[in-house]
Amino acid sequence: MEDIFVKLYEMTAFSNIIANPSFLVMYAIAFVLLYLGIKKHYEPLLLIPIAFGVLLANFPGGEMGVIQADSNGMVMVNGVAKNIWEMSLPEIAHDLGIMNFLYYMLIKTGFLPPVIFMGVGALTDFGPMLRNLRLSIFGAAAQLGIFTVLLVAILMGFTPQEAASLGIIGGADGPTAIFTTIKLAPHLLGPIAIAAYSYMALVPVIIPLVVKLLCTKKELMINMKEQEKLYPSKTEIKNLRVLKIVFPIAVTTVVAIFVPTAVSLVGMLMFGNLIKEIGSDTSRLFDAASNSIMNAATIFLGLCVGATMTSEAFLNWTTIGIVIGGFLAFALSIASGILMVKISNLFSKKKINPLVGATGLSAVPMASRVANEIATKYDPKNHVLNYCMSSNISGVIGSAVAAGVLISFLQ
Amino acid sequence: MENIGLGLMLMVVGMITVFAILLIVIYLSQLLIAIVNKVAPEEVVVKKSTATSSAPAVIDPNTMAAIKGAVNIVTGGKGKVMKVEKI
Repeated sequence: MEDIFVKLYEMTAFSNIIANPSFLVMYAIAFVLLYLGIKKHYEPLLLIPIAFGVLLANFPGGEMGVIQADSNGMVMVNGVAKNIWEMSLPEIAHDLGIMNFLYYMLIKTGFLPPVIFMGVGALTDFGPMLRNLRLSIFGAAAQLGIFTVLLVAILMGFTPQEAASLGIIGGADGPTAIFTTIKLAPHLLGPIAIAAYSYMALVPVIIPLVVKLLCTKKELMINMKEQEKLYPSKTEIKNLRVLKIVFPIAVTTVVAIFVPTAVSLVGMLMFGNLIKEIGSDTSRLFDAASNSIMNAATIFLGLCVGATMTSEAFLNWTTIGIVIGGFLAFALSIASGILMVKISNLFSKKKINPLVGATGLSAVPMASRVANEIATKYDPKNHVLNYCMSSNISGVIGSAVAAGVLISFLQ
Repeated sequence: MENIGLGLMLMVVGMITVFAILLIVIYLSQLLIAIVNKVAPEEVVVKKSTATSSAPAVIDPNTMAAIKGAVNIVTGGKGKVMKVEKI
């Protein structure tokens, strides 16, 4: 009789949870993330699948946690070392569980981030960028946070690959951060994805904080429309529709030639945008890219990323370093965009509102909306949304290019 | 020390590449604008005739009922639809 109870006890997850209470910490993290996603609406489309993935991965015996292969591709399967790249997908599903099957098929191959980029492209309008081309250069300045944190992380003892994955959080682009981490430091995927999406959700808090520290009221009251009237742009677009169709093709070609490693992201972003801009002829493709494919990819990406956060992979000092470093990368990216606007204002008669620089990091369109709110707080008539969207969208291209550089040098 | 050198190099190369690519994108876009302005005909903006816009718009009773219903829900029964205009 006692034997039966012992076996029953061992069959449930209780025995493992009591033997290793760190699982409880992971449940607490999952519940906090679920709360933030459901109640606070912080990036719910991604935080909720990630949080649920964390929960699933940490039920002992459930075999839903992702087992990371080492740098040689070796994993322990029932006490035997096997090379994951020599295992067939059914074998992975059978020996390591369904979540590992999804992870190694969809994430580790780098398949899902470009698919999500295609959806992002289908939902992006490059019109504001094309109308305010001069402002798009601030999307480049805002990438400084990535490289500064990379350097700081190396000084803290991270390997260059880990440091690059940490720094890319400053690009404020979830799929780019995940793509770079998969290529360079897959063992850090969970904490980096969580940090990237959490800080993206905290854009309405972080941008006002940095702006308050670096900008004066006078600077924030610079009215872009009045500046436009005083110093009108010489470029006039006569046919925006045709231009929007040619633009993604031309940008893909240029980026493919200069930074081939960024093509999987930029190319898919531009493909998604192209099928949107063509209009009715490709409306079915546009619909699939922006709805069903994007939604399915988001579900699997979120669950798999969450499932990488097993207690042994997550509860360590590296995770704390990633959380602090990620915030630093984010704040520095915003600050460097603002400082570049300030420098540009020193040499130009046509003044630019520093909020345009603050939105040089990706996080489209939330960063622009937050910047617009700040501007209208100082002057209700000063709507900077369209101008901020220019640097905001170019920031997406900028962070993808930065990721391409890091991958090509460090992989 | 070697890694710090690598980090510094990545910082310089990375920032130069990002700036260079975005500058290329900007100048390429300007070139595209010039070409499209020259080659593609201008978009024809169809102006609505003033006669129809000045005339009061007739709202279908079903649409009106839907609008009233939506206003009722949003304002908790406090709002009232005074006028519906096509912009």
